[in-house]
Amino acid sequence: MLRFILSRMGMAVPTVFLVAVVVFFLIRLVPGDPAALLLGDMASPESVAALRSDLGLDKNILAQFAIWLTNVFQGDLGTSITTKEPVAHLVIERFKVSAGIVLVAVALASLVAVPAGFIAALRQNSKLDLTLVSVAALLLSIPTFWLGLVILLIFGLKLGWLPVVGYVSVAEDPSRGLLYVLMPILTLFLHEIGVLVRMARASALEVLRLDYITHARAKGLPERTVLWRHVFPNAFAPTLTLIGLVLGNMLGGIAVVETVFTIPGLGRLLVDAIFGRDYPVIQGCLLFIAVIYVLVNLIVDLCYPLFDPRVKIT
Amino acid sequence: MKTLSANAMVGGLFVGAFVIAACIGSVWTPYDPMALDMKARLAGPSIQHLLGADEFGRDVLSRLMLGASASGIVSLATVAIATVLGTALGSISGYLGGWTDRVLVAVTNALLAFPGILLALGLLAIFGANKYGIVLALGIAYTPSVARIVRGTVLSLREREFIDASRVSGDSEMYTLLRHILPNCLAPLTVLSTSMFGWTLLSESALSFLGLGVPPPAPTWGNMLAAARPYLAQAAWLAIFPGLCISIVLLGINLLGDALRDRLDPKMRGMQ
Amino acid sequence: MNRRQRLAASAAAIALTLACGPAAAETLKIALNADIRSLDPGVNRDANSDAVVLHMVEGLVAYSEDASVKPLLAKEVAVSDDDLTYTFTLRDGVKFHNGNVLTSADVVWNWNRYMDEATKWRCRNDFADGGAAHVVSVTAPDDKTVVFKLEKPNALFQATLARTDCGMTGILDKSSFNADGSFNVPVGTGPFRYKEWRKGEFIDLEAFADYAVRDEEKRDGYTGAKRPLVEAVRFAVIPDRSSAKAALLNGDIDIVPDVPYADVEEFKQNADTAVSLATNPGIVALLLQTRDPLLKDMRIRKAIAMALDTKTMVEGITLGLGKANNSLIPPTSKYHSPAQTQGYSYDPEAAKALLREAGYNGQPIKLIANTRYSNTYDAAIVAQAMLQQVGITAELEVLEWAAQLDRYQSGNYTAMVFPYSGRYDPALTMDSVMGNKDKEPRKVWDDPEAQAMLADAVRYSDPAKRQELFDKLHARFLETVPFIMLYNGLEASAYQKHVQNYAASIFSMPRAWEVTIAE
Repeated sequence: MLRFILSRMGMAVPTVFLVAVVVFFLIRLVPGDPAALLLGDMASPESVAALRSDLGLDKNILAQFAIWLTNVFQGDLGTSITTKEPVAHLVIERFKVSAGIVLVAVALASLVAVPAGFIAALRQNSKLDLTLVSVAALLLSIPTFWLGLVILLIFGLKLGWLPVVGYVSVAEDPSRGLLYVLMPILTLFLHEIGVLVRMARASALEVLRLDYITHARAKGLPERTVLWRHVFPNAFAPTLTLIGLVLGNMLGGIAVVETVFTIPGLGRLLVDAIFGRDYPVIQGCLLFIAVIYVLVNLIVDLCYPLFDPRVKIT
Repeated sequence: MKTLSANAMVGGLFVGAFVIAACIGSVWTPYDPMALDMKARLAGPSIQHLLGADEFGRDVLSRLMLGASASGIVSLATVAIATVLGTALGSISGYLGGWTDRVLVAVTNALLAFPGILLALGLLAIFGANKYGIVLALGIAYTPSVARIVRGTVLSLREREFIDASRVSGDSEMYTLLRHILPNCLAPLTVLSTSMFGWTLLSESALSFLGLGVPPPAPTWGNMLAAARPYLAQAAWLAIFPGLCISIVLLGINLLGDALRDRLDPKMRGMQ
Repeated sequence: MNRRQRLAASAAAIALTLACGPAAAETLKIALNADIRSLDPGVNRDANSDAVVLHMVEGLVAYSEDASVKPLLAKEVAVSDDDLTYTFTLRDGVKFHNGNVLTSADVVWNWNRYMDEATKWRCRNDFADGGAAHVVSVTAPDDKTVVFKLEKPNALFQATLARTDCGMTGILDKSSFNADGSFNVPVGTGPFRYKEWRKGEFIDLEAFADYAVRDEEKRDGYTGAKRPLVEAVRFAVIPDRSSAKAALLNGDIDIVPDVPYADVEEFKQNADTAVSLATNPGIVALLLQTRDPLLKDMRIRKAIAMALDTKTMVEGITLGLGKANNSLIPPTSKYHSPAQTQGYSYDPEAAKALLREAGYNGQPIKLIANTRYSNTYDAAIVAQAMLQQVGITAELEVLEWAAQLDRYQSGNYTAMVFPYSGRYDPALTMDSVMGNKDKEPRKVWDDPEAQAMLADAVRYSDPAKRQELFDKLHARFLETVPFIMLYNGLEASAYQKHVQNYAASIFSMPRAWEVTIAE
C-alpha cells in the first residue's frame, strides 16, 4: 500500500516539475511587462527599469528560474507583484473559497445524478431514460457563464432574493456566507448534473452488460440482490474516478463562474494575474492546481479498491 | 433503441442546421455583419432586423451567421490539429514503447494535469489572442486526450495476431502502423472528435467571456455574448441569441455524439 | 424600498438583513472596479489606490474643482519674487488620526522620507536633482512654517505636489510606520481613518471625528469643505461591471463611480437611482506612428484627421453624453480658450485628394485597440468605418491591454487608440505626450519647436503668457497632426437617490466627504 503511494507520487514528480518549467518560461514569452503595467501609461522608462530591477525581472531568465525553483523547494512561492502578498497564502486562501463551492456543488450533484444515472441505465431506452438523458444533455450544453448570468438575473435582480455581489466567508458568518454562495453553487450543480448523469448511466450500462451479471441472474438471484450486490458496487467505482476528474477540471472551469458572481476564488485570482502579468501568482496558481489535480487522482486510485473488489493494490 | 435514435435525429437536426447556417453565413448574410448603423443601435427584433441589432447597430442575425462559420472553422481546425498531433504522438508512443513511450506519457500527463481551459489560457497568451492563437492553443490543449486514447488502442492491438502476421510477412513498421493499427483507432477517434468539437465551441466562448478569445470585430458566438453583457438589461436578446445558439449546437453535438458512441464504440461509454 | 421587498421575499433574506445590523445605514458603500494596490500614498499605486488613500491622507496643497492648485493643510502659500522660494504656513489645530498635532517638523520628516530612494515614491524624480522641479532644501523655521527652495523657477511645482498620483505628497504621522521603517497603515489628517482592508473584498474607513475642517462652505475638488458626514465608508471591490450594476439596482451598493454610458439612461429613469457626469482631463487619442513608412507622410496623417468626423464619433461612443475635443486642454480648464475650440476639419473629399497626392493606394494600416477600456475599442471600430469611407484600409488588431501597453512603450505600432490618464495642468498633459522618440520611443509628439514652447509654459507662471503659448501649441498640433486627439475622458457615476450631495468630478475618483445618507 505504502509502496503504491510512493511509486505513484514518484510518477507525479516529473509531471509537476514539467508543469513548473513550462509555466515559468511560457508566461515570460508573453508580451506585456508587469512593471510597465503597474506604473501605468505615464511612467518614464527609468522608473519602469528601476521597478523591473526591484522585481528581479532584469536578471537572466535562467537565473530567475533557479531562484524561483530554490524558493519553491523551500516552500516559498514568492510574493505577488501587484499586491505584495505572499503567493502561498494568497493561493491557499482563494483555494478554500473555490474548493468549498466546487465540493458542495459536486457532492450535491453526485447525490442527485448518480442514482438518476443508475436508474436510467436500468430502464435503458424507456421514456424515463430518454427524459433523463435529454435533460442531462441539455444541462451539459448550456455554457456555465451563461447559465450563471441567467440565474443572477432571475434570483438576484428580478426576484431580489439573493445578494448579487460580494462574498462573506461561510466560516466567518455561516448564515450570511451561505447566501453569497448559493447562486454559484446552483450554477455548477446544474452543470455537473449534466456531466454526472451521463457518466453514471454509462458505467452502470457497462456493468449490466458483463457476463457475471447475466450469470447472477441466471442463477435465479432476486433482481434486488443482483443490483445491490453486483451492479451498483461495480458501477460506482468508475463513477468515482470520473467524479475525481470532474473535481480537478472544475478548478479550471470555475474562473468564469467566479467572474460572474464576483467570488474571490482561485480561478479569478489566476485570470486577474494573467491580465496583470503577475508572474509569481500565475506560477503559484498553476503549480498548485497541477499538484491538486495529481493528488485528487491519487486519492481516487486509492479509494478504488474499497469499492471495486476486483482491483487489488499491490 | 428506437427512442434513443430519436435523440440522435434531433441532434443531427441541430448540427445540420448549424452546418447549413455556417455555410450560408460564409457566403451570404442579410446585412453586412460589420457595417455600423448608429440609428439602429440596440434595436429590438423587428422585420428589418429579425434578431435585433447590437450596440453598433450591426445586424445580430447576420453576425450570428458569420459567427457560426467562424466558430465552426475554429472548432474544425482545432479538432484537426488535436487529432493529427494526438494520433501521431499516441501511435509513436504506443507502438515504439520504451523510453520514447515513457517520456511522451510524462508529457501527456503533465498536459493533462491542467484543466484544458487553463492550458489554453497559458498557450493563448503566447500565441496571441486571435483566431490562429485560439486554434493552436486549444488544439494543443486537447492533443493529450487524443494521444492517450490512440496509445491505449495501439497497445491493445500491438500483440494481436494480425499485427504479428503483418510484421512477419516483412511489412515495414510504418506500413503496419498505417495499414493495420490506425484504422482500428478510427471509431474511438470519431467519437472523441465529436466531443472535442463541442468542447472547442464551449471553450472559445468561455475564453471570449474572460476577454481572451477571438478578438472582435470579427464575430464569434463567444465574443458576441461577451460584448452583450453590459447591455443585459436593455437588450437581453444580444446575450440570449448567441447563448441559445451555443446551447443548441452543443446539445446537438452531445446527442449525436452519444448516438455515434453507441453505434461505433460501446467500450467508449463513460469516457468524458 | 429594496430592503422591504427582500424581507417579504424570503426567510433567508431576513438572516441577511439582521446580520447587517442597525448601523449599516450609516455606512456609505462605494464600488471599486479593482482592489487597491497599497495604502502608501504615491507608492505602488493606481487610480483606485489614490481614491481610497486620499480619503485618509492630505497634502499641503490640493487641486480644486477647476484644476487650479489651492492650499489644503497649508493656510497660505507665499512665493518669492524670483519664483524660487515657497513658504507654506500650516493651519492651526490640524490633528492626525491618533490625536497628534500637525507641525512643520512632520512635513520636513515626510519630505525626507519621500525623497529617500528606498521609499519608491512615484514622484521622487520630479523633485530630485535633474527633475523639472528640483528642490534644493526644505526647512522649518518655526512650528507652523515650511520653506521649500527650488533650483530653478517651475510653474508646476505646486501642481506636482498636489498630483493625486503622487498621493498629494500626503503628510503622515510617524505611527504610520513599523519599527523597521516600513509602511504599515496610513495615519493621516484626512476626514476618514483606516479601519480594515480585506484584500480582494473591501476597504473599510470610519469617520475621523476630530477632522480639522477648512473654513469653507463648499467642497472644492480635493480641498474646500471636507466634512465626514457618514459614520463609515466601505469601498467594495466589484471587478465585474454587470455585477456592480446589479448591486446598485439591488441596493447592496450606494455608489458606482464608473458605470457604462449604455446604462446611464436606465439609471436616470430608475426611481431609486441618479447619475452624475463629469469630464476629466484624461485624453482618448488616435496615436499615429510618425516613423511608420506610410504615416511619416504628413499628408496621409492629415487625410486621416480629415476623414474622421470626431463630433459624430464621440457622440456615438458616449451615446450623446460627451463632446469631441481636438485640443489637449480639456474644456473644464481655464486655459480652454476660444482658440482651443478649433478642431480638425471634417472633409472626406479633401482627404481623398490628399491621399491621391501622397500616392496612397490601399496599403493596410493596422489599428490597435483593446477591450479593457471599452471606449477606446468603440472609437477604433468607428474610426475604422470612417476611414473606409475615404478609401483607407484600416485593419483592427485587438490586443490585451498589457500587450498594447508594451507596443505603446516601445513605439512599435502604426496606429492605436490609446487612453491617457488625467493630468490637471495642461503643461503636464503635454509633457506626457511630447518628447524625443529616439530617447523615449513611447512619446508621440516629437517636435523640437513645440518642445521649446512647452518649456516656456513650464517656466513661466503668468497665466496670460501661458495661455498664449498653449494657443500656439494647439495651432501647431492641428497643423502637423502628430496624432489625433478625439475627446476627454467622461465619467458617469450612478448612485442611490438616498445618497445626498454626491458628485462625479474631474478627478474621476469617488469622494465620500460632504456626502450624507437620507433615511
